[in-house]
Amino acid sequence: MQPINKMRAEFISKSVNESFARVVVASFVAQADPTIDILADIRTAVSEAVTNAIIHGYEENEGVITIECLLYADHVEITVEDSGKGIEDIEKAKTPLYTSRPELERSGMGFTVMETFMDSLTVESTPGKGTKIHMTKQLKNR
Amino acid sequence: MDVRFKRDGTTLIVSIDGEIDHHTSRILKDRIDSKFIMEPVKNMIIDLARVTFMDSAGIGLIMGRMKRVSSVGGKMSIRHPKPEIIKILKMSNVDKLISKEA
Repeated sequence: MQPINKMRAEFISKSVNESFARVVVASFVAQADPTIDILADIRTAVSEAVTNAIIHGYEENEGVITIECLLYADHVEITVEDSGKGIEDIEKAKTPLYTSRPELERSGMGFTVMETFMDSLTVESTPGKGTKIHMTKQLKNR
Repeated sequence: MDVRFKRDGTTLIVSIDGEIDHHTSRILKDRIDSKFIMEPVKNMIIDLARVTFMDSAGIGLIMGRMKRVSSVGGKMSIRHPKPEIIKILKMSNVDKLISKEA
């Protein structure tokens, strides 16, 4: 199956770009006319993935984050990638309420939110090289 | 993002306007905490009526403020969250703080 549209966005890991990333992805996906609820779920998941890259991937230093969206007739595939420090133990990182940086007052719910709000989540990570978060969401489930 | 404060007896009412993410939550945290220390209050109500977006950073923000309020023996509650925000509050059991009164 061929995507009907594709986009790629690249930006530096500044926290102010979290809202930029949400807006870019939501307006791209909006052309498929999904429900407001589906769009809200996607915005939230993208926000979590980008925040993860900023805080954990780059530890709030400057780096590049890439988002790629493949839009199909009935679903969207979103990849958020960083070239940061990577995740040693992905299963542990996904545990609800676990946070590797408790000093930041984070809830430890990032991956749980991505898993709950999207239909699928795959995390690939190589320590020292970076992390790639791949998520999919059905757009027409009525 | 904007935040407004009102005092009702010993309760600080915090009304947040806009989006709560990792970026804005750091600013909100500082502004709320300094107001909470300055005012003669011990309870806190966070009004989410005008919050248009919230991710897990908002959960961290609420849980952190709850700890602070509990440490002085106060009560914490949340009011007027929109349905999409209730969804994320429920995931971490923070929804039990939602006040029943209008």
